Amino acid sequence: MNAPTLLSSCARAATAAEARYRIDYPNSRARSSRIVALDDEAAAIMRRIEDDVWGDTHFLTFRARHPAPGIAALSIDATLARPDGGETRLSAELAGADVVVMIASSGAGIEACFVRNIMTAGLIVSRDRADPDVERAVRALRPYAAVLVIAADEEFVPAMLHALRA
Amino acid sequence: MLRKDVNDLLTQTGTGTAMGDLFRQYWMPALLAEELPENDCPPVRVKLMSERLVAFRDSEGRYGLIDEFCAHRGVSLWFGRNEEGGLRCPYHGWKYDYTGQCIEVPSEPEESGFCSKIKLKNYPLIKVGDILWTHMGDPENRPPKPEWEFATVPPEQTFTSKRWQECNWLQAMEGGIDSSHVSWLHSGALVSDPLFKGARGNKYNQGDKRPFFEVVDADGGLFIGARRNAEDGKYYWRITPWVMPSFTMIPPRGDHPVHGHFWVPIDDENCWAWSFDYHPVRALTRDERKAMQDGYGVHVKYTPGTYRPLANKDNDYLIDRAAQKRGETYSGVEGIAMQDASLQESMGPIVDRTKENLVSTDNGIIMARHRLRKAAVALRDKGETPPGVDPAHHKVRSASVVLPPDQAFVDACKEDLTVRPGVKQSSV
Repeated sequence: MNAPTLLSSCARAATAAEARYRIDYPNSRARSSRIVALDDEAAAIMRRIEDDVWGDTHFLTFRARHPAPGIAALSIDATLARPDGGETRLSAELAGADVVVMIASSGAGIEACFVRNIMTAGLIVSRDRADPDVERAVRALRPYAAVLVIAADEEFVPAMLHALRA
Repeated sequence: MLRKDVNDLLTQTGTGTAMGDLFRQYWMPALLAEELPENDCPPVRVKLMSERLVAFRDSEGRYGLIDEFCAHRGVSLWFGRNEEGGLRCPYHGWKYDYTGQCIEVPSEPEESGFCSKIKLKNYPLIKVGDILWTHMGDPENRPPKPEWEFATVPPEQTFTSKRWQECNWLQAMEGGIDSSHVSWLHSGALVSDPLFKGARGNKYNQGDKRPFFEVVDADGGLFIGARRNAEDGKYYWRITPWVMPSFTMIPPRGDHPVHGHFWVPIDDENCWAWSFDYHPVRALTRDERKAMQDGYGVHVKYTPGTYRPLANKDNDYLIDRAAQKRGETYSGVEGIAMQDASLQESMGPIVDRTKENLVSTDNGIIMARHRLRKAAVALRDKGETPPGVDPAHHKVRSASVVLPPDQAFVDACKEDLTVRPGVKQSSV
């Protein structure tokens, strides 16, 4: 039976009055997010937003890369620093992560840490799109991030993280 | 997701709202020129950004856009007689010129000068291309005329239509910068629509349904690049410009005309979807123009005598479940425009963005919202002119190109994304 319940059911269903009857419940579980600053400038941007209200979100700074033998999802493993100065491994952080956002700036020295099986975004913050370091960052991140954003202002960082329910 | 207060800020465009003030910085499409086809033709009701207006063309060809209601007893001037240099209220004969100035109050002695004290609110109405544009903001901050390429090429190279969309402008506009839905919702159209089919790029769309995205800030808004795999390790890029507040262009396909949209609030629960097609260097063919008039591509078939789509929510968009099952349409709704509009209207008049679950590939939408909010707040708090007002920001193009994997589209396509008079669009 293909007929709708009522003729013009869309007309009724799309009204503001009917919107009141949408079921009110949390339609997603909390996401576990890992925000990884890949260079010093990105780390500084990240530090400025760490004290906002976040969910299960770990703010981490890239320190050094390591081979990742036997970890299928990773091209490399890495040492990451927590805000308190303690260290952790990328491979450990990714276990249970739903979203990874990598933040870079126009600063040099990107040695990105990548994962293929998690929702991954790369965010490059730079006012100067013509800076060759930006191009280097774009090239480094492009193969791995489902989306790359090149933003001129760092206010976009918290806007993006909140939009992704970090 | 968005907090409710931010969603309210972005979706409300009436007078005195932050986003309403933002929209009032720009020249916006108000009517098709065909709606006022000759001097002293019937007036037309216009509602824009929650303001009720009436447009007319006087005996000398001057366009007026004034408050819809007579200052005397509040009668709608849509019933007015457009004659001898003004619009006359049929109730008691009060007459207004194209600026809204009352020029006759028949019951009062002419020498009393009473009529000079009566003036209706008015906005300018100028013709650029097939469109009558208005600026509803401060006359002292009136920007230069719009210079969008689709509106400034010779008339034989361009075609514009508009359709009523029964939802808030923002959820409609967000469809225009959401490139990832094309491989799903519009997959049938890539094969069958005369204004889309046959392009080499279509096979990349159909062959790779998980595009990667790059979103780049631009002076007037954004460039959103969707990247799919092509041959020999190269990438097929479809690049969508968005210019604030609500101009979007669809990346071209082959030598088909280039399409795009303006999304203009009627009120907070309705908008006009303006749709254009143009070719930068040649006249539209007779077949192309007929296809546009017949509702193909980004255009629609109309309910006769109106700008309401023939397929609309009152007839369940003429959904054809059998065609959906056969794979001719992905959603069962025919036509690209109504495939989008039907889903966007189904969200409700103003979608509750506190409930949504965006993913990383929605970053074009996230960035556009961020830019809009930031510009609206900067205008409200500091009086800053927003991006997109400067006509230099209008001179953008969409593009579809195949690039080596190490090239950033924004650098490799700098010229392709800029209007170059006499140069064809970059399209695969």
